[in-house]
Amino acid sequence: MRSGSSAVEVKGLGGGTVRFLPLFLLLPAVAFILVMYIYPFALSIVRSFTDESGGLSLVNYYKAVSLYGRDILFSIQVAILGTLISTVLSLALASYIRLSDSRMARLINSLSRLGIFLPYVVVAQMMRSFLAPHGLLNVLLANMGLVDIDSPLQLFNIRGLTFGFLWKETPFITFIVLSGLQVIDDTYIEAARSVGARTRHIILRILLPMIKPTIAIAVVLTFCTIVSTFTLPYMIVAGNPTTVTVDIAHRVTYFGDYRVASALGVFLYLIVGVMAVYYLRRTVREEVYGY
Amino acid sequence: MGTKWRRAVLEGALLCLLFFVIFGPISSLVIWSIAIRWYWPHVLPQEIGLAYWKQALGLQRDWAIAAVSIWGAFGTSMLVALVATALVMTMAIPAGYALARYRVPLKALILLLFLMPKAFPQQPIFVNLLPTFTRWGLAGTVQGVILIHILVCLIFGVWITTSAFKAIPQELEEAARSVGATRWRTFWKVLLPLAAPGLLVSTVFVFITSLTEFTGTFFIGLPFVTTLPMLLYSSSGYNMQFASVIAIVLLIPSLLFMVLIQRVFRPEYMGGIAG
Repeated sequence: MRSGSSAVEVKGLGGGTVRFLPLFLLLPAVAFILVMYIYPFALSIVRSFTDESGGLSLVNYYKAVSLYGRDILFSIQVAILGTLISTVLSLALASYIRLSDSRMARLINSLSRLGIFLPYVVVAQMMRSFLAPHGLLNVLLANMGLVDIDSPLQLFNIRGLTFGFLWKETPFITFIVLSGLQVIDDTYIEAARSVGARTRHIILRILLPMIKPTIAIAVVLTFCTIVSTFTLPYMIVAGNPTTVTVDIAHRVTYFGDYRVASALGVFLYLIVGVMAVYYLRRTVREEVYGY
Repeated sequence: MGTKWRRAVLEGALLCLLFFVIFGPISSLVIWSIAIRWYWPHVLPQEIGLAYWKQALGLQRDWAIAAVSIWGAFGTSMLVALVATALVMTMAIPAGYALARYRVPLKALILLLFLMPKAFPQQPIFVNLLPTFTRWGLAGTVQGVILIHILVCLIFGVWITTSAFKAIPQELEEAARSVGATRWRTFWKVLLPLAAPGLLVSTVFVFITSLTEFTGTFFIGLPFVTTLPMLLYSSSGYNMQFASVIAIVLLIPSLLFMVLIQRVFRPEYMGGIAG
């Protein structure tokens, strides 16, 4: 009798106290997120529609677009460019590692993972010294005769910024995609090979289509990360145009202007909007309903 | 034989390219950290030495070397990271246990709360917390920075902890319960020891995330709370050597973590992605 009832309780179906136990366990974390995340999230939207006297107004959006319209486009451009290139590179790299069993492929695999956990502040400092006009990259290229010593490559702009994002995000997508590829059984590949399929076809028609949802999530998360990152553009982009995240910091630290900063923040929400909602819906659905 | 050779050459070229792209920026840091004089356009510095390292580690004080001891910032960083990690795990372990083992009412809504900070930019959040923190006397204090770090780290703690608990088969707990062990005892004696490796990964991940946090500290902590990333930022404009030393100090834990947990780290830890 007793053992039967407790087995039911373990599954959380028991009545009374047990029903509220999970909520009680979740309370501290949920309360923290509500106060420290949801409240300021709502505040940022309210503030963006508020004028100096506290009335409802679009003046912050007008200012944001007229002063920083170009930077909003710049942020979108960097995010698309960075996401696109790092995705293509990652898909190629992950497919190669999955299909090859040479020692070199294993080495390339370990090498490609090296940067995954490096924080953006370290990556930013690295890029700042590596990509500088007199930095190591230009030094090497100049000594190989590929760059004119008197006019080294200027990389503290969209090119250097994109390179920094690629450096950090490509290992991340590769890791996620490769984990997906490794679940696929070898027999699919062998079967395709035995009927004469070329490697290119195996990758594009069999392997990658099988893990489309995984790829989608990796792409979405990368896009959101690039749009949200403040550290890298703040530390390596010189002058204009720059990203919206840098504009937000300027607005706050130089002008103490939280309203226009919030309007810019809402633009960031809108840029990631569709992708973020896709990620949230899919992940929640998978966790709750299992598909 | 021909195609095999071509393949090996291609693989070799890929390896070299990857090696250059990955280690180029890293070696730039290493070289700068030991460069005393390095004139353009020489490939290597004219004079190298450990002067900046010694000064940063407090082993010498020389007015000619533009570096200060990093121990103060290191202490602040450690204090913030240790307290933040302890508080995050105190909240994340019960939350992860509930999500992994119970039918939670409003589960979709609760999951949404834990996923939103990853999907949407957090910078507007920090900016909008700043006036509130100023009013509460938390801006520019260590306590304020700890709160911000908890916010940044909590979702990772909850995800990794949930998936660590989920990885343990439920039958063992059911067996313990069926012979009369209480819920608390079952959790403490059966589940926790089995899930310990996963919880350790979670703890270390949270700790490193806090140690290297930049954006939140920038808005809430500056100019009064100097963690290592803030010290790196403030020296990065004018002092390549000193900034490189700090960057290497911050790079070491992340690299070590990568090497140590290669085998146990799973994709869902990084995106809250199931499977």
